[in-house]
Amino acid sequence: MTAESKEVKTNTDWEPRIVAYCCNWCSYAGADLAGTSRIQYPTNVRIVRVNCTGRISPEFILAALDMGADGVLVSGCHPGDCHYTSGNLKARARWALMETALEQAGVDPRRIRLQWASAAEAQIFADGVRAITEQVRELGPIRREWK
Amino acid sequence: MAETKDKPRIGVFVCHCGHNIAGYLDVEKVAKQAAELPDVVFSVDEMFMCSDAGQQLIKDKIKELDLNRVVVASCSPRMHEPTFRRACEEAGLNRYMYDQVNLREHVSWCHQNEWDKATEKAWDLVRMSVARARKLESLPVKTVKVTPRTMIVGSGIAGLRAALDIAERGFDVVLVEKRSKLGGHVRNWTHLFPSDQTGAEVLKPMLREIKKNERITVMLDSKVTEFDGYIGNFEVTVTNQKTGKQQKLDIGTVIVTTGFEPFKPHGYYAYGDSPDIMTLAELQELPRSDTLVRPSDGKPVKKLVFIGCVGSREPGNPGHEHCSRYCCSATAKAAADLRKRVDEALILYQDVRTYGKGHEELQRLARSEHVIFSKFPREAKPKVEVIDGKIRVEWHDVLANVDLHVDADLLVLSSAMVPPEDIHETATMFSLTRSPDGFFNPEHIKLAPLTTHTAGVMIAGASQAAKNASEAVVDASGAAAKAVALMAAGEVEIESTVAHVIPEHCSACHTCVTACPYHAITVDTEQDPPVAVVTEAKCKGCGTCAAACPSGAILMYHSTDDQIMTMIEAYLCYTPEVEGGGTA
Repeated sequence: MTAESKEVKTNTDWEPRIVAYCCNWCSYAGADLAGTSRIQYPTNVRIVRVNCTGRISPEFILAALDMGADGVLVSGCHPGDCHYTSGNLKARARWALMETALEQAGVDPRRIRLQWASAAEAQIFADGVRAITEQVRELGPIRREWK
Repeated sequence: MAETKDKPRIGVFVCHCGHNIAGYLDVEKVAKQAAELPDVVFSVDEMFMCSDAGQQLIKDKIKELDLNRVVVASCSPRMHEPTFRRACEEAGLNRYMYDQVNLREHVSWCHQNEWDKATEKAWDLVRMSVARARKLESLPVKTVKVTPRTMIVGSGIAGLRAALDIAERGFDVVLVEKRSKLGGHVRNWTHLFPSDQTGAEVLKPMLREIKKNERITVMLDSKVTEFDGYIGNFEVTVTNQKTGKQQKLDIGTVIVTTGFEPFKPHGYYAYGDSPDIMTLAELQELPRSDTLVRPSDGKPVKKLVFIGCVGSREPGNPGHEHCSRYCCSATAKAAADLRKRVDEALILYQDVRTYGKGHEELQRLARSEHVIFSKFPREAKPKVEVIDGKIRVEWHDVLANVDLHVDADLLVLSSAMVPPEDIHETATMFSLTRSPDGFFNPEHIKLAPLTTHTAGVMIAGASQAAKNASEAVVDASGAAAKAVALMAAGEVEIESTVAHVIPEHCSACHTCVTACPYHAITVDTEQDPPVAVVTEAKCKGCGTCAAACPSGAILMYHSTDDQIMTMIEAYLCYTPEVEGGGTA
C-alpha cells in the first residue's frame, strides 16, 4: 500500500460509497420494511432496484467498482424463495467466479457482499448494510487497488 | 413512440410526506439542486405528492411544460408507483416514462438522526433517478385474453365456497382434489364452532349445490402435474392418481385452497405414549356419542384435560412461531360441550385469544359450565408423564402462584395448524413463495392478501395462514371475486417490461434458453442464422437471460444495462462543473 493511500485511509472525512443491487421482491421490500420499522443503519449505501438478483450481470459489479464504488452489496431472496423461482441461484453461481475475478484484478473480494434478506427480514438487511460498510471502511478507499 | 425520440424534458417532484421525509432531510435543498440537472425543466417540493392536489400538479405540469419524463421523490415505488404512473397516463404520458425515488423507506425513516448525510443520500438518489429518466423509453401497454374457466386446487370448505361463487356468476370451474372425497378436514369434524353443527352438516348443502351445478367439474384422486402458460392462458395437466389418466385443460385463473394439516405433536406432552392422549382434531373426529370414553379401555372419562398452544407460538422454532388462531375458541367450545359428560374439565393455557365473532361467548359458556381455566407460564410448560397407564399432568398456575397436578383420563392437545406435507410441491408447481410459518405468501399482506406473485393465481383459506373455517370461507369468496373480475373483463394487461433479443447480436448459443426459469425463450431454427426468440406473455421480466447472454444480445425493456449503469455513473462520477450546475 502506498503512503498516499494510507493517508486517505486515516482521513476521517472519507465515507465509503457503496452501491447496493436489491431485487424488487425480497430485499428491496426488506429495505422498505427496515424503513417502516425505523431501523437505523449507515447512510453509505445507494440502493438500485432490479427485478431479480439473476438480472445482475458481473459487469454491473465490476463497472461500479471501476467507477469508484468502494463496495458493492447484492441482496436477494433466500435460495428457494426467489420470486422468479431460481434467479438467485444463478446469481449465487456467478458469485464464486466474481470473487476470483476480482482477486485476480487486484481488488479485495471483501469489498463485495452477497446476502439473502426476505421482505420480512428488515433487520438482516440493515445488518448486511452495516457489515459491508464497516468492512469497506476497514479496507479503505478503492482507488489504486486495480492491477 | 414519437416522444421517446424527443429531447428529454424532466419534471422532478420532491415530496415532504408531511413530516415523514421533510422532518429528517432537506427536501427544499434537494428540489433546488435537482432543478440544475441536465434536462430538468421543472423541480419542486410539495407536502403530499400522492394527494389529489399533488397528482393534479403532475398532470398540470406535464401539460403546461410539455414534460416527457416525470420523477417523483417520495415513498417506496412498491407503494405509490401505480398511483403516479396512472397520473402520468391521465396526462397523456406513457407509464414507462415515470421513475420514482424512495426517500422515505430508504432514507428519512432509516436515517432519522443524520440530517446532512440523509440529505446527501437523497440528493444522490434523485440524481440517479434523473439520469435514468433521461434514458427511459415508452413501451406499449399490452393485453391478453382471459379464458373463462377457473381451476380450484383443493376441495376443503374454502375450495367448495370458491367453486360455488364462481359457478353462480356464470363461469366454468374445475375442482381438483387429491383425496377421494370432497370436503377436506371440515368433513370429519363433529363440532364446528361457533355454531353447533357437525362439519358434515355444514358442508351438506354446499356439496348438493356442487353436484347440481353443471358448470362445476369435479376431479377426485387427482393432482396437477403440469402447469404452464401465463395469466388468462394457463395450460394445465391434471393426472388421476389411481388410473394414471391425464387430462389437459385450458384455464384462465387458478385458486389454490390446499389448506393445512393438524400438527401431530410428537415430542410434546407424551403424545404417542398413550391412546388417551390425542390432538383436538383427533377428538373432533371421534364418533358423536352421549358418553365420552377412554380409547384405551372404553371406561368413561372423569377428568378431561386440555393443553393449549401445542406447537404454536414458539419463538425460534421455524414453522411453529405463529399463533394457530382456531385453537383457543375450539378448545373452549369442546370443553363446554363435553363438560356435562365428565366430572371435571380443565383447560391449561398460555394465553386465551378468543378474538372472533361469537368466540368470546364460547369462552364465557365454558366458564359458566364450570370448566376450569389455569394459566401456565410460557417459559415453564406443563409436564406430562404416562406412569402405569395413568396420565400425570404437572404445571405451575401463574395466577395462584402454585404448583398443581392432576391425573387425566383423557388429555387433549390443541395442536397447531401446519402446512400440508406436499406444500413444497404445490409451491413449485405454481411458482408460489412461502412465509416463515410455511404457508403461502400473498402478494401483499395488507393490500393484496388473496393474490400472489404469480399473476392469475390466487390463494384462499388455510393455504395462506392458520385460520378457522369461517375465515377460510371469507377468503374463498374474496378470491372467487378476484377470479371472476379477471374473467368478466375478458382481457388483462400484461407487463411490457420483458426481454427482447436483438437478432444481429445473437449467436444462438442457447445460454438464455437454459437460464430462463419460465421456458419463455426458444431458438428459431427456421431463421438463417438461427436466433433466440422470447415469448413475451411467458416472460416475467426477471432478466436472468440478459445477465447470462455472452453477446449482450438481450435487451430488458425498462431495465436496460444502459438505464442501470447510468444511475451508477450519476452516483459515483458526478461533477457539478461538467454537468453544468448544482451546488453539491
